[in-house]
Amino acid sequence: MAADADIFPHEHYSRLPIVGSLALHMVLFALAIFGNLIPSGRGENWGGTEGGGGAISATLVSSTPLPNPQTESQNVLANESKGLSQSLPKEAPQEEPKAIPIPAPDAKQKAPHESAIPKKEPPKQVAKAEPNQIPYGQGGPVSGPYGSFTSGATKGGFGFQGGQGDFGSRFAYYVDIVRRKVSENWLKYEVDPRINDARRVYIYFEINRSGQPTNVRVEQTSGIPSLDQSAVRALQRIDTFGPLPAGYPGNYVAVEFWFDYRR
Amino acid sequence: MKRFAAIFLSAVIASAAFGAPPPPQDWIRTGTGLGVEKIRLAVPDFKTATDPDSKKLAATFNVTLWNDLQAAGIFDIVSQSFYPLSAPGVPQEVRLGEWAAPPPNAGMLVFGNVAVQGGSLAVQGWLYDVKNAQSPQVLGKQYREDANDDNARLIAHRFADEIIFRLGGGIPGIAESRIYFVSSRSGAKEIWQMDYDGANQKQITHLGTMALSPHASPDGSRIAFSGVSNVEWQILMYSLELNRAVSFPRFQGTNLSPAWSSDGKWLAFSSSRAGDSEIYVADVMGSNPRRLTNSKGPDVSPTWNPKTNAQIAWVSGRTGLPQIYTMESDGTNVVRMTDQGYAVSPSWSPNGQLLAFAWVRHYGPGAPGASDIYVMDVASKQWVQLTHDGGRNDFPTWSPDGRHIAFQSNRTGKTQIWSMLADGSQARQLTTAGQNSQPNWSFK
Amino acid sequence: MGGTKLKLRRIQWIQVVLAVSVVLAVTACAKKKPPAPPPAPPPSPAPTAMLTANPNAIVAGQASTLTWRTDFATDVSIDGIGKVDPSGSMKVTPSDSTTYRLVAKNDTGSKEATARVTVTPAPPPPVTSSTPSESDAQLFSQNVKDVFFEYDSSEITAQYHSVLQANARFLQQHPNITFVIEGHCDERGSTEYNLALGDERANAAKQVLVQQGVSGGRIRTISYGKEKPFCTESTEECWQQNRRAHFVYGK
Repeated sequence: MAADADIFPHEHYSRLPIVGSLALHMVLFALAIFGNLIPSGRGENWGGTEGGGGAISATLVSSTPLPNPQTESQNVLANESKGLSQSLPKEAPQEEPKAIPIPAPDAKQKAPHESAIPKKEPPKQVAKAEPNQIPYGQGGPVSGPYGSFTSGATKGGFGFQGGQGDFGSRFAYYVDIVRRKVSENWLKYEVDPRINDARRVYIYFEINRSGQPTNVRVEQTSGIPSLDQSAVRALQRIDTFGPLPAGYPGNYVAVEFWFDYRR
Repeated sequence: MKRFAAIFLSAVIASAAFGAPPPPQDWIRTGTGLGVEKIRLAVPDFKTATDPDSKKLAATFNVTLWNDLQAAGIFDIVSQSFYPLSAPGVPQEVRLGEWAAPPPNAGMLVFGNVAVQGGSLAVQGWLYDVKNAQSPQVLGKQYREDANDDNARLIAHRFADEIIFRLGGGIPGIAESRIYFVSSRSGAKEIWQMDYDGANQKQITHLGTMALSPHASPDGSRIAFSGVSNVEWQILMYSLELNRAVSFPRFQGTNLSPAWSSDGKWLAFSSSRAGDSEIYVADVMGSNPRRLTNSKGPDVSPTWNPKTNAQIAWVSGRTGLPQIYTMESDGTNVVRMTDQGYAVSPSWSPNGQLLAFAWVRHYGPGAPGASDIYVMDVASKQWVQLTHDGGRNDFPTWSPDGRHIAFQSNRTGKTQIWSMLADGSQARQLTTAGQNSQPNWSFK
Repeated sequence: MGGTKLKLRRIQWIQVVLAVSVVLAVTACAKKKPPAPPPAPPPSPAPTAMLTANPNAIVAGQASTLTWRTDFATDVSIDGIGKVDPSGSMKVTPSDSTTYRLVAKNDTGSKEATARVTVTPAPPPPVTSSTPSESDAQLFSQNVKDVFFEYDSSEITAQYHSVLQANARFLQQHPNITFVIEGHCDERGSTEYNLALGDERANAAKQVLVQQGVSGGRIRTISYGKEKPFCTESTEECWQQNRRAHFVYGK
């Protein structure tokens, strides 16, 4: 399946001296090679419009150079409350870590367990350094270092509203899983390719005990239906995030997923 | 001058056609976390006592656990050379800071202890979120089995599967899954089984004639396969619980390539009972077979969409060389998927979205016959080539987690079973003795 | 004087050298170029052996074909027959049920394979038939010829259509002969598809015979796909050899 190639028609055969002709050819050569990188709203021309099996070569995601989404560097405090990013840190819950299903003999270990882990005071709000980070007002901050979401130039976050507002701090690994799965399943090419950036969109959904996303809805639209729909579809594509952590008492956890789309 | 320019222009055209990078491609997601950075997992050896029994079983446990987590496809296992010198055996010994900071720079930590006490193997294992100092524990498990090597491996498989289930977004790990395959090492082609990593290879059938195309039932209790019985090819059924063949109706003609629907209700297969090979569907006792296809040329190798059981893909030679087709499970809405070459052996992925198959894209007289494994998105027909070694790669089969594919390859000179991640990476050889082919991964 | 003598000797010497090199060249060319050696097998692998008898149930007086294949063996023998080639086939006509035992040995060890031929007593000879059944088998193999196919095809070409017609004539003259048509394919395709294709080839040959008046009840068909090749080289000649409908005497 040969790659599409733009063959630039060489309309005027120049009678300029060799140097001029060579220079012109060089320019064309460069254009022919790199012209393909100019985005051309080609849109959706995949699939079999031509009946009898128009099988088309594709690439796997790993070969698409996604920028390193390592935004964990900004250790923002795990915090559920809505509002400004400079919320007061909640002290960690004192309930015994119920997550260990190892029977009695370990009861002694619990006390030393808590003190053994040095209480890392949360690094101060480096959030200011990050320009398009926590929104003012609605939307909820990122939960722990894991709740932030990036895909390409798009940035966003997850707010988990469950338990006593400490879901994200107690079960940061679960937040991470949700982030990964949504990342994996969000197909940006479903968004209208003419869109380059958009207003923030807020998607609400719930995760039930067995990990299925339910009640997916658009809480605040970006104004662009294809963008809203691409996010909703990402969630619909996900069968399960895995069962909710055993230590979490609720039947479901509510999640708010927001992002600022940038192409 | 004119000639020079013409040559140069054709060089430009040539390089534009072949040298220019293709336009940004659409992509296929195979669910192995591609494009998302993998979880950095540190897996130090579990602490153990000093007696030789404990050490031996701990060694087996550690190797198995490491390999299972490595093979899962969703982790970036931190190299052991970066670990702090003393590995924790119980939670009090854990110093998260050591693991979170570079050089290990881990995201998650697996640790625990293994001991043999009075003929019993006891293992405690924890999974800690290194970056969450307030409540790091994600998992804590305890296991106890009779002390032997097989159990050391079994416990490691179970613990690895738990970790993979938790961190992999609710998809169970495959460490306890099995692969059924055909081996000639006993002299005749028989059905064999092995663990997903190639361990415990065991012969199942002892027909002495020829047994091919094994397919295990969704509940793992039976294997359907095609075998020569009384100078005829029949669908034969072997019960793994009773350890013997169980009855299945005989049909006229040549009966091949059985395939189970994932709900355990139906069996699709190829039969030439009406003269020309066609695809039939019968219930799992073999009653009431219905014909689905009706065309000249061979029709063989059906595979169900395991997510919906509403579609079947199969191979048909109705236009000449074999191609892959899909249809509804009542035979309607036939769609051709491949557009050229020689395409065989389709296998439908557990999430219902992808077909893996073997393809020779340019086939003809004198062609060397090299075939490769491809994966195609059913909805869009976009495909990706997974193997590139120029040998003969055939019979891909998906693992239950949808992240791995086992297949047969003759790249070492003899046909052997290999497995790889669904993006084509981490290929490893599972069999070595005799010739081994036609792998079928268990449903769970 | 000395000079010419020397020159003569030199000429002679040159001629000898030339002659020797020509001889060497000729023998080198004549010698068949050995095929590229297979990758060296791991040191002393254990031998493998396989033995089948087809058909494995015969009537007394009929013949069965023993087919065997071994790997890595230096010494192969079958009880009652003696030393045999590492792979091959041979017809046997046991008068009683016999289990043939093949032993394949090498310096590492040995492997056995067995095949049983069950013999039922001969029915009373049919009144009409005057030919003893042994020579039926011989006549069959002399007169009933295999037919070959184009790649990926089960179509009987004109050339082989006449072969089948000749086969049909013989079979009509010997109405008591029953036989099997085996469908075979070359090694290149896939196992399952080739089994189906071989099935089509066997059936195609059968159809022509039936059209020519041979009763279908005398004909059994089975496909072996690429599982029982007649040769194993990866050459066009060998592939053509394997794309066939093969006729086998007996049940």
